[in-house]
Amino acid sequence: MQATATRRKSKSRFRDTLPFWLILPTILVLLAIQVYPAFYTIWLSFHERKPQGWEYVGVRNFQLLFGMGIFGESVGHTIIFLVGYVSLTLVLGFVIAMLLNRKLRFSGFYITLLFIPWIIADIIVGIVFRLLVIPDYGLLTGFLGNPALFPPDGLSVLTAVPPQPWLGEFPFPPAPAMTYLILASSWRALPFITLLLLAAMQTVPTEVIESSRIDGANGWQVVRRIMIPLMLPTLVVAVFSLTLSGMNGVGMVFSLTRGGPGSATQVLSYTLYSLGWSQLDFGRAAALALLIAVVNWALIMATLRVTRVEERNH
Amino acid sequence: MKLLSRKRINTLLVNGALIAICLIALIPVATTVLISFKGEKDTIRKPPIIFPCDTPTSSFDLTACRWAIEGYLRVLAPKPTDDGLLPFTLTGNMVRVYIPNSFLYATSTALLVVLLAGMAGYAFSRYRFRGHRALMVAILAITGVPLLTNLLALYQMGITIRKAGIPFYDDRLFLIAVYVGFFLPLSVWIAKGFFDAIPRDLDEAALIDGCSPFGALLRVSMPLALPGLMAIFLLTFVNVWNEFIAGYLLIPKNELKPAMFGIYEFLGQNIINLQVIAAACILIALPIVILFIFARRSFFSAMVEGAVKG
Repeated sequence: MQATATRRKSKSRFRDTLPFWLILPTILVLLAIQVYPAFYTIWLSFHERKPQGWEYVGVRNFQLLFGMGIFGESVGHTIIFLVGYVSLTLVLGFVIAMLLNRKLRFSGFYITLLFIPWIIADIIVGIVFRLLVIPDYGLLTGFLGNPALFPPDGLSVLTAVPPQPWLGEFPFPPAPAMTYLILASSWRALPFITLLLLAAMQTVPTEVIESSRIDGANGWQVVRRIMIPLMLPTLVVAVFSLTLSGMNGVGMVFSLTRGGPGSATQVLSYTLYSLGWSQLDFGRAAALALLIAVVNWALIMATLRVTRVEERNH
Repeated sequence: MKLLSRKRINTLLVNGALIAICLIALIPVATTVLISFKGEKDTIRKPPIIFPCDTPTSSFDLTACRWAIEGYLRVLAPKPTDDGLLPFTLTGNMVRVYIPNSFLYATSTALLVVLLAGMAGYAFSRYRFRGHRALMVAILAITGVPLLTNLLALYQMGITIRKAGIPFYDDRLFLIAVYVGFFLPLSVWIAKGFFDAIPRDLDEAALIDGCSPFGALLRVSMPLALPGLMAIFLLTFVNVWNEFIAGYLLIPKNELKPAMFGIYEFLGQNIINLQVIAAACILIALPIVILFIFARRSFFSAMVEGAVKG
């Protein structure tokens, strides 16, 4: 009698705690692979590797990092890259989503074809775009190298030096290689953003658009006054997610330009790699990783806020 | 009589524009396929040619095309053998070492992610407990964290574990753990979404009929959630297959590195042999593209679940 009661009790305890046991492995993995390394990075950024072990150096890593010329330069490159990458992808994604946002017999077919770039690894996309403009033999090299189209003596994307900056040190206008890197990155991110925007567009009620049309609004006014305001939360999420992926993606830089020519396409993510694994300076690299992580966290928190506000409104 | 209404013209224009966009979008892919089937002589022509089909007299002659599989042969490096099923074996590092490594990493990560995300997603979908919302939001926040900033710490952790000399420890286990940790959070959300779509009544009916909660999960919900779990498997498989930087940095031995490292190494070795690089790219990307085309519904369903959450 007693035994069955205890067994029933232990069984019901198992039943009550089942969700806990189901979630526990996930939590343990995330603690080990995501949370612990984040704190470890903070620790690393205040230490320096010495022959006898790690030594606490305070904020010296940050001071050294800010003192490096390449740091300021890669911040500039990252800003240029992000502005170009985010705006180009967003505008093109919006236009393609507008085209797809109607009853078309082949829309499934188009979406499948358009999605192929997204499924290809960034490192391969970098190589594919590199093959197009490789000096002498790339298929676009002849076209770009035509002095009539690109005065004074044609354009060699991978080797052309950056133009003289207009404002002090800020690397604008960007080097041709940077523009090309933006194009290649957008090419790969476009399908995902298009689908995200298409999904949001389909929630805009057609009656609203039709009635505004009857009231005499033109296409541009419909986009500006109705679609963009109604899609705003998704647009903001798209901007944040593009910024996040653009700032942390490194594969494309690796295979397309390796930061070159010179340091013209050296963005922060590539600087982090070269500090950590080429110069083996883990302290400074950790300081940079921490700075990037802080920006990442701000973006993530902002995204969460926007999606939660949206949830509440629905 | 109006043959073409305004609406009709509009549809035609939109279709035309979309076809044009698809074609432009696929130009880089098409040119890579073309390069991979050229001989070395045709890849280093000046000025470059699109099709290797020109003759001294005409610029394009279909009968004179010089298609070659030289690039693929150099990647695969087949050597004749007497024993075995095929009359040759493939000795190229890409097929012998790197692609099997990628396959191992992608499959084992995807299986583990499906298992863990299935369990956690089920618990989040079916139970309300203290800290439910906070945990979900925490997992959602972690979903956004990119690999890059944690790599230094993970690299140091790898060194520490390696030095600890744990028996049977292998760097591959560490890499798989890292991949699981990075692709799990999104999958938990996707799994929760899929479980939310399965009516709760079915579980409850099973419970009333005397099934244990775990039995209800195993016998009722899991089979119904199978398409969703399949989608998570595919998405994770592709993500790991395409991942470069962690596989490159966290594995010290070259013979244990994945295919994306293999292609990166190829790029360094074959600066002028464009057909070899192109063939290697095609060989690595093609399985994934085919998988995507045949299972696109699965991918899109996972993405719709995941995309809404960022």
